[in-house]
Amino acid sequence: MEQKKTFYHEFEVFSKRTPSSPFQHQFSLLAPNAEMAMIMAQENFMRREPVADIWVVQREHIQGLTREEKVMLKRLDNKEYRETKGYGYLKKKWRYYQQKMFDEKEILSWSGGTKHD
Amino acid sequence: MSILEKELEEHEQLEQFMARIEAGDKIEADDWMPEEYRIALIKLISMHGISEIMGALPEKEWVPKAPSLRRKLGIMAKVQDEMGHGQLLLRVAEDLLKPYGKDRDDLMQDLFTGKLKFHNVFHMPAKTWADAGLIGWLVDGAAIITQTNMLNSSYGPYSRALHRICAEEVFHAHHGESIIMALAEGTEEQRQMLQESLNEWWEALLMFFGPANSDTTGSSKQDITIKYKIRTSTNEELRQSFFTKYVPRILSLGLTIPDPTLRFDEEQKVWIYQQPDWSKFKQIIMNNGPRSQARLNLRRVSYETNAWVREALSAAAI
Repeated sequence: MEQKKTFYHEFEVFSKRTPSSPFQHQFSLLAPNAEMAMIMAQENFMRREPVADIWVVQREHIQGLTREEKVMLKRLDNKEYRETKGYGYLKKKWRYYQQKMFDEKEILSWSGGTKHD
Repeated sequence: MSILEKELEEHEQLEQFMARIEAGDKIEADDWMPEEYRIALIKLISMHGISEIMGALPEKEWVPKAPSLRRKLGIMAKVQDEMGHGQLLLRVAEDLLKPYGKDRDDLMQDLFTGKLKFHNVFHMPAKTWADAGLIGWLVDGAAIITQTNMLNSSYGPYSRALHRICAEEVFHAHHGESIIMALAEGTEEQRQMLQESLNEWWEALLMFFGPANSDTTGSSKQDITIKYKIRTSTNEELRQSFFTKYVPRILSLGLTIPDPTLRFDEEQKVWIYQQPDWSKFKQIIMNNGPRSQARLNLRRVSYETNAWVREALSAAAI
């Protein structure tokens, strides 16, 4: 693709606050190349907040959606079988068998390891 | 498509657009928007952006002259923030300008030719250290009032930029307060300097919010910006809010407001005040203020001096 000869290329800036957090879009900036974009990103957006990593991406390298395509993203409300709410009746079943339902909160709490109490 | 069909389609798009705005939806750069909305945003945001950059200049003059190392670091951080805010806002304006084939270079040229205006307060001299403090305290205070008024703007990129900016403005407000507090609690000369600074800036502060209606300057964008939910309050409502928030604080420091007519009318629930000289305001924003040309020249010279850098780095492929 032929590029316009310009100093002003658009970059999108992403960063993460801590090593374990996900990358988050910050804002865009203009820079002549990626190296300068990286310096500008720090000057423009990271003067105070904690930051563990930064990405700069030239905007034209990002594939986005058109207006029509965005409308298509809206989901029909008929996907209960994909979600826990489609299986809510199990709670009553387990109660009948005198067991507790393993819900999301319970399952995610296992990350701390098994406790025998 | 026939002209009629096209008009019908536009009418439908406009209806959908207004419905989205009414529902509190945010408009994004690549969404359809009426020309009137785009133009109002470009005017507002390019003026806001370039004002941040021109606004750094009166304060930058105080970096070498700050009274202590800590003060120097503080004001340098603030100047850097203002330039950062300018960069953010110009990006928002540039994305809106895209359909017209315009970019940052055009904005800079518009600034130099006087087509793109900047806020009245930044045409004024910052003669004393008290001026530097007062800019942080009251000019930024006024700016915080106008900017928070647009925090939930219907235009998503502007709203996001303002959220970033307002978070830093809190630091600016405290930075200014810290300078004026030291002067207010200082020697008689320091208190005198602070009072003179308030006398000097009061009119410019009232002008900052713009005239109450278009009778004064011939045109006003407030109706359009309110209609499209870019902002919520009128210029006069913002000025009144400034009085309510700041008059008690100014008086509490033992300062005198240079307007003997200023009072709060309990019955009407409004502040009564002496109108600033709006013909002076018109002159100032036409770049005929005391420091307008000097500051524009500073920008021009640095833009020209650095032209070779832009040229050298404008490679066709990056």
